[in-house]
Amino acid sequence: MALSKNRLVVSCPTEEQNLIKELVALSTTEQIRKIRELPVSFEEKKHVRLVEKIFLKICHWSVFPLYLNFIQKCNRDVYLCVLLCCLLLLQLIRRFGYSIKSVSQSLQLWRGIMKEIGGKFGSSVLNYFVLLKWLLLFNIFSFLVNFGFITIPLLVSDLSPNVSPNVSFRGLELLTGAGYFNYTVMYYGSYSNETFRGLVDYDMQLAYFFTISVYMVLCGLVLIFSMASSFKKNYALADAASNSAWQLLCSWDFSITNEKAVNQRKNNLRIQLKESLSEKAHRERQTTSEQLKQYGIYFGSWLLSTGLAVGCGASVFYLCQYEDEVRKSTYCCRNPEAETLLVPFVVSLMNMVIPLFFSLFNKFEQYSSQRKQIYALLFRNVLLRISILGVLCYYWMNTVPQKFTCWEPMVGQALYRLVIVDFIFLMLGSLFGEFLSNVIGTKIQPRLGVPEFDVARNVLEIIYAQTLAWIGIYFSPLLPVIQILKFFILFYLKKVSLTHNCQPPRRSGRAAQMKTIFIFLLFIPFFAGALSIVAYTAWSLTPSEHCGPFRGLNNTFSVIGEWIDDVNKLSSTQWVVWIYQNVIRSEIFYFLITLIILVLIYIFWQLIQGRKELIVLLRKQIVNEGKDKSFLLEKLQNLQKSSEHISIVPRQGMLRGRQSPMRW
Amino acid sequence: MGTTASQLAKDSLSEYQVNDHLLLENAHRRFTELLDRDERNHPNPRVPMEVILTLPELKSNPFKTRICQVFSTSEDKDGSLTFEDFLDLLSAFSDSATLEIKSHYAFRIFDFDDDGTLDYGDLEKLVNCLTGETEDTRLTSEEMRQLISNILDESDIDKDGTVNLSEFQHVISRSPDFVSSFALFLFYPVFPAPNDAVLHCFI
Repeated sequence: MALSKNRLVVSCPTEEQNLIKELVALSTTEQIRKIRELPVSFEEKKHVRLVEKIFLKICHWSVFPLYLNFIQKCNRDVYLCVLLCCLLLLQLIRRFGYSIKSVSQSLQLWRGIMKEIGGKFGSSVLNYFVLLKWLLLFNIFSFLVNFGFITIPLLVSDLSPNVSPNVSFRGLELLTGAGYFNYTVMYYGSYSNETFRGLVDYDMQLAYFFTISVYMVLCGLVLIFSMASSFKKNYALADAASNSAWQLLCSWDFSITNEKAVNQRKNNLRIQLKESLSEKAHRERQTTSEQLKQYGIYFGSWLLSTGLAVGCGASVFYLCQYEDEVRKSTYCCRNPEAETLLVPFVVSLMNMVIPLFFSLFNKFEQYSSQRKQIYALLFRNVLLRISILGVLCYYWMNTVPQKFTCWEPMVGQALYRLVIVDFIFLMLGSLFGEFLSNVIGTKIQPRLGVPEFDVARNVLEIIYAQTLAWIGIYFSPLLPVIQILKFFILFYLKKVSLTHNCQPPRRSGRAAQMKTIFIFLLFIPFFAGALSIVAYTAWSLTPSEHCGPFRGLNNTFSVIGEWIDDVNKLSSTQWVVWIYQNVIRSEIFYFLITLIILVLIYIFWQLIQGRKELIVLLRKQIVNEGKDKSFLLEKLQNLQKSSEHISIVPRQGMLRGRQSPMRW
Repeated sequence: MGTTASQLAKDSLSEYQVNDHLLLENAHRRFTELLDRDERNHPNPRVPMEVILTLPELKSNPFKTRICQVFSTSEDKDGSLTFEDFLDLLSAFSDSATLEIKSHYAFRIFDFDDDGTLDYGDLEKLVNCLTGETEDTRLTSEEMRQLISNILDESDIDKDGTVNLSEFQHVISRSPDFVSSFALFLFYPVFPAPNDAVLHCFI
C-alpha cells in the first residue's frame, strides 16, 4: 500500500499545464490532431512527460480504435509513433493492474473489519483477531490438504464407506459425533488400507500417513519461523524495561478517535509516568515484615492455583472412569449417547469458571510490574488447560485402545464432542463475559463501568481450541471443517460483542510483546503437545485391527518400512533407500547433528557477548566525541575572541596613545 | 461533480502510483468534502487548518495542530493542507510506511519549536500534551524535572542535553509498539461507490 507520488503534476511547467487544459476542452479528433502537430524538437524528457500526461487525460477505451488508425497512418513521425505505442501499452498495463489490485484488495478476507477494529480499539485487541484469522488459514489449508489427498480418492473409488441400513441421521449426531457420523468419512475408521489401481497406483496408507505428517511438520515450521521473527523484532531489539518513560511516550496510540478514550489514556499515562518515577523509591521503603507478607501471599496463591489445576485434572480422570463404568453397566435405560457429553461439558465448565478464581487471586497479589502480573495469570491458565488436556490424552492413549476394537474413531468422536461443546461455551462465555458485564456496568452498578476486552483470556481460548483440532487431525481428518465453521462464526460474534459491549483498553498495553508471547504459547505447550500426542500414537500404539487405513500393522510407522521395501525392489530409486537406512534410521546422524548445533549455539552466544561489549564501547566513544566537539568549539570561540581582542585593542591603543602609550 | 477541473483532479489520481486504490479514492472523497463549493473548481485547493481539524480522525488527537503544521507546505506556515499534503499525511501514518519515515515525522511533530532537536522545552510540552493541560492533571514541576532527566538519561547518548534525530530513531527502534501506534486510519466504506469503480476501470 505504498503511496509514492509521481511529481509530474507539481513540477511540470505551466505551459504544459495550459496545453493540457486546452486539450481537455477539445473533442477527441481535435486532440489527436493537436498531438500530431507537437513539435518534435522538445527535449526528450519533457516530451515524454508531456505525451504521457496527455495520454493520461485522453486514454479512453472508446478512443482506442482511433489511436490504432492514427498509428497505422503515420509514417512521417516515426519517433512519435513508436513512443505513443509504447506509452499506450504501458498505460493499459498500469490501468489493468490497478483494477486487478483493487479487486484483490477488496476480496482480502476481513480487511475492512480489521482496520475498523484496529482504529477503534488499538493494536492489542487487533492481535486477537489477527491470530484468529491466522489460525483459520491453518485450518483451511488443513482441510484442503486432507480433503484433496485423503477423502476425495476414497470417495472416488469403490471403497467409499457404506452406512449400515439401521442407522439413520438424528439431530443428536451434530453434538455427539457418534451414530451416523461414525460411518462417514469423518473419522479414521472409514478409510481403507488398499491401494487404488487406476491411472496411478494410489496407496491410501501412505497417503494418509504422509498427508498428516507433512501438514504437522509444515505447521511447526511456520510457527517456528514466525516465532523467531517476532521474537527478534519485539524482544531482542526492544528495550527491557517496561516502564521506561520514552516507551510510554512513544507508544501513544494516534489512531484513537474517541474523545473520552483519549482522556482516559491521558489519565492512565500520567499515572503510569508517576509510577515509573516512584517505583525505585517504593521498593526501598518496603520493610521486612511487608516483604514477608508479600512472599506469603505469592506462595499461597501459587499453591492454590497449582492445586486447583491438579485437582481439575484428577477430577477429569475420575469422571472419565466413571463414564466408562456407566457405559459398561447400563446400556438400555438412559440415553448412552447423551452421557458421552458429560465429560466435555465438565471440561468446558472448568475452563470457563476456574480462570475467574485465578483473576481473583491476581487481584490480591501485588506484582512489581503489570507485565509480571499478566504473565503470572497466563501461566496459571495455561497450567490448568495443559493439565486437563494431558489427563484426557493419557486416558485416550492408555485406556481407550484396550476397551474398543475400533478405538481411533472413538478418540475422534471424543475430540469432536470437545470441540463442539467448547464452541457452545465460547458463545456463552461471550454472552456472560461481555454482554452481562456491560449491562451490569452501565445500568446496575455504574461504578464498574463498561468492560474491556480481555485479550489474554480470549487468545488462550482460541489457542486451546486449535490444539484440540491439531490433536484430532489424525483421528478425524475432516475435523478442520468444524473448526473452520467455528472460527468463522466466532470472528463475527466477537466483533459484534466487542463493538457493542466493550470499550477501548485504558492502558496502553505492550501489544507487540504480547503477540510474541501468544505465538510462543501456541507453539511450545500446545502445538508441541499435540504433535507429541500424534507422534506417540503413530509410534507406539497398535492401530485397530478391523478398521482404518493402518489395520493389521504393528504400528503406524511400519508403513514407511513397507514402502521402503517396495522402493528397494526398483534399482533406480536406491538412493531413497540409502537415505532412509543411513540418515533417518541411524543414531550416529542425529548425534552428529546435535553436536554441530550445540557448537554453533556456543559460537553465536560468544558473538553476542562480544557485540554487547562493542555496544558499550561505542556508546563511550559517542560521549567522548561529544566532549571533543564541545572542547573544540570552546577552543574556537576562545580563539575568535582573542583574535578580535587583538584586532580591536590596537585601535583603542592608538586613540589613547596620546594619553598612555605604554599601556599595552 | 461534473466539472472539468474536478475531472482533471480525478484523472490525476491515477498519476499517484498508489497500490491502495481504495485508500486513494477515499482520501480524495474526504478531502473534497472539506472544500467549499467554489473551491472545488480550483486546480490545487488548499484547506485551512481549522477545517482540517474538524475531521473526526484528527479532532481528538493531542497533536493535531503539530501534525497539520508539519505536513503543510504553505509559505506562511499556517498549517493549511493541499491534497498532496493530505496524501503525504495519510501515507506517513499508514501501516505500510517504514519505520524511518514514521520516526522522521514523529520527530518533527514532537519538535515544537522546529529547531531540529528535542530540548527540555520540547520534552516538557510533549509530556504536557500527553498527560493533560489543566492544572490538576499536570505533573508537578519536580516530577517533570525528574521525568525529563530520566528521558535524557535513556536517550541522550552524546550527553549534550538534547535529543537529536539519530538518538530519537535509536530509541524508537527499540520500541516495537511504535510502528503500530503511529497510525491513523481514515474511516471508509469497504467498497467504493459503484459509479466511481466503473469509471476507474475504464479511464
